[in-house]
Parts: sequence; C-alpha cells; structure tokens
Amino acid sequence: MAPVQLIVAAMVQLTNAWEARVIDTFKQIQTRLEATPHLQRLGRLFSETVLIEIDGTEFYLSFEKGRIVSVVEGPSRKTPWRFALRTDAEALQKFWQARPEPGFHDVFGLVKIGRGRIDGDILSLVKNLLFFKDVLGLARGKEEFAA
Amino acid sequence: MSIEPITGRYLTVTIEGAARRIYFEEAGQGRPVVCLHTAGADTRQWRHLMNDAEITESNRLIAFDMPWHGKSLPPEGFETQEYLLTTEAYIETVLAVIEGLGLDRPVLAGCSMGGRIALQLAALHPDRFSGFIAIEASDFQPAWYDIDWFHRPDAHGGEMGAALVSANISPYAPNAERWNTLWMFMQSGPGVFRGDLSFYTKDDSLIPRLPTIDTGATPVHIIVGAYDLTCTPDDAERTAKAIPGATLAVMDELGHFPMSEHPEVFRPFFVDALEKMPGTAAKAA
Repeated sequence: MAPVQLIVAAMVQLTNAWEARVIDTFKQIQTRLEATPHLQRLGRLFSETVLIEIDGTEFYLSFEKGRIVSVVEGPSRKTPWRFALRTDAEALQKFWQARPEPGFHDVFGLVKIGRGRIDGDILSLVKNLLFFKDVLGLARGKEEFAA
Repeated sequence: MSIEPITGRYLTVTIEGAARRIYFEEAGQGRPVVCLHTAGADTRQWRHLMNDAEITESNRLIAFDMPWHGKSLPPEGFETQEYLLTTEAYIETVLAVIEGLGLDRPVLAGCSMGGRIALQLAALHPDRFSGFIAIEASDFQPAWYDIDWFHRPDAHGGEMGAALVSANISPYAPNAERWNTLWMFMQSGPGVFRGDLSFYTKDDSLIPRLPTIDTGATPVHIIVGAYDLTCTPDDAERTAKAIPGATLAVMDELGHFPMSEHPEVFRPFFVDALEKMPGTAAKAA
C-alpha cells in the first residue's frame, strides 16, 4: 500500500474510533438518564430529536417523553430535528470535565465564547433548558473523552 | 433548633407617586450597608452574609425586596401593567428606602442590576452614600438571549429563567446553594425577570457617567466572578477602568451570584470590599 493510502486509512480508523467514543458517551448519557427519574420527570413533555454536530459530524439524539430512545450517527438529510447544538470536539471535551473552565461550563457558555452554535427551534430548547442541560451534563466527569 | 439573627419588617414608601409596601431584612449594628439583589430574585441572596456574626458585629446589613420581588407586592393595578424597570424608578426606590429607614450615608452593595444601579447612584447621588460595592456590575450588557422568552403564557418563565441563569453559576458552587440560588428565579412572578432584564439590557445611560464618579469622595470597588457569562471579568475591567480610582477584584471560582451560590468563597472578597469603604472598619477577618 502506498504511504498516502496508509495515512488515509489510519485517519479513517482514527475518525471511526473517535466517532465510536462519541457514540459511547451519548449511550452513557442514555444509561444514566434511565437511572435518573427526576430528569425523566422534568423532560416528560420532551419528545424531540436533537442534532449534536461535532466538528461537522452529525449525531441525532431522539427523545421520547424525557428518555433517549436512539442515538444515531449522521449524516442524514432525512432526519428532522427540533434544534441543533453545533460545537467542536475540544470544546465538548472541556464541557464534559468535572469542573470546566469558564465558558465551557454551560451550553450557552459555549455559544457566548464562540465555541458553539444553536440552530432551529431555540424556544423549544429554552422551554426544556433545565432538562436538556442536565441531560448533556450527565457525561460530566468522563474526562477520557478525547478530541 | 436555631433561630437566625435576621429580622424582617415592612416599610411603606412613595415611589412614582404611589405607595409601595417594601419588605426589608436586617442584621447587625454599626455602619449601615444596604444590599441590593439581582434581577429576578430577592433578599434571600444575602442570607449568608447577614448571618455572619463577624461581619454583622460592626456592619448593619439591610436588604430589601424591590417592588414586584420577593415579599414586596407589585403596585396597585399591576394586573393591567407591563412591568418594565427603569433606571429612574430604580434610583427613586433605593433613595426612598434609605430615607424611609433614616439611614445616614450607607455603603451601597449591589449585585448584577443592583451593581449597575449602585454605579448609577455613585454618579448621580454620591452625597447619599459613603461608598459603593458593585458586584458583577458593568457599564452596559446587551442581551445575548431574547428577554421575551421569560414571560409567555405557554411556558413557565421561572423555570426558564432559572435554566438560563444557571449558565452563570460556577461549577465550584456547592450543589445545595446552586439550587437555592435557582429557586428564587423559579419563584419570581410572571414577567418580573423580563422586566428587570429590560432595564439591564437596554439602558446604556451609565456609560458616559462613569468618568464623572468621584472615588475620592465615595470609593467604588467592583468584584466579578470568572464564571459570570453575563458580566464577564472583561466587562467589569472595562467598567473599572472608566471610573478614575475604582478598584477591581476577580474571583476565579465564582459566578454571577457569588454571595448566594458560594458564600464561603465569596466572604473574603466581601470583607475586603468592606475594608475599602469609609466608616467603621469591618472587624471580620
């Protein structure tokens, strides 16, 4: 195999490994949410799909009455979503630290410091903001998540 | 069982030509220090400092609920009004309470919108105060959110407000105090947080007044938390630089509600601020 092909193959492998870790993190959030009844109660009216885009890679989290029912990697043009959080891997890694540095400690913080963008039905997010932020924060402390 | 030294009473004053029944709390004796709460909250934000025996040994801390907030009722006919706080009404309220309580040139300590109005009073009515502690205070903050989110018939404005301001609480804050702080926002009356934010995010009249503040006559000390997204350390620094002689302290592990979200870490910063103010020196260490 030519060197260029080797490098491309290695990059694909690395990308796949990174995407697998992201999926694993979202699955862990799903599992922790199942064990967090007060959050399920808080999100009991939330049945929407949320797009989390990390460095351009899409992940769709589908919620049904406050529970995550699926985590699907994109790209997909057929999956409707209510709102989207677009950020980068390093920012999300910092967000998920136990005590993030200023700006990385909150979803709106990411937006404020220019490391995140929220698109779509923002009011839907704001109506369910306590729920959504706490759900995303369920991975907090999982510092092995790598950029 | 324990009974706290904080006492609460009511005071009726005239504001904008009509009577207002104001709830206030106080603790301690000596130099009067009037404490102003943030938008969408009430005097309970000051509960820890008011229960601090070393601070209240030589400082009489007084906090009051703004009309529409906490235990202070909105004015008669509120049901037909849109609540929108203004700089003028806020100034009139603070001055009326000080006069009503017979306070002689108190120190004024305010947080967030309370800090903003403290700086307005430093510029416009310095003769009524001995000094100013402006916490999470800046010259002007445009909204980085839509304030109309927080008053809608199809959603709970208090829960949404709490969710928004949680962005301003430090991850170092003890969980219990984080939620005690958020609870006040959850309890806020419909449209009150929005009406406070209208004042805070739309009135930029303070900017040209900052250089006129005479810190030789009335010192100004600004305190800001690194986790404050609304009034960032950069915002506070810009504001402090515009006031000749103003001093600034940055708190690395605190957010927008320091006296409420993490009182233990905030305490030394507040004691330091009191020591910079004229009058009876704070004996707390």
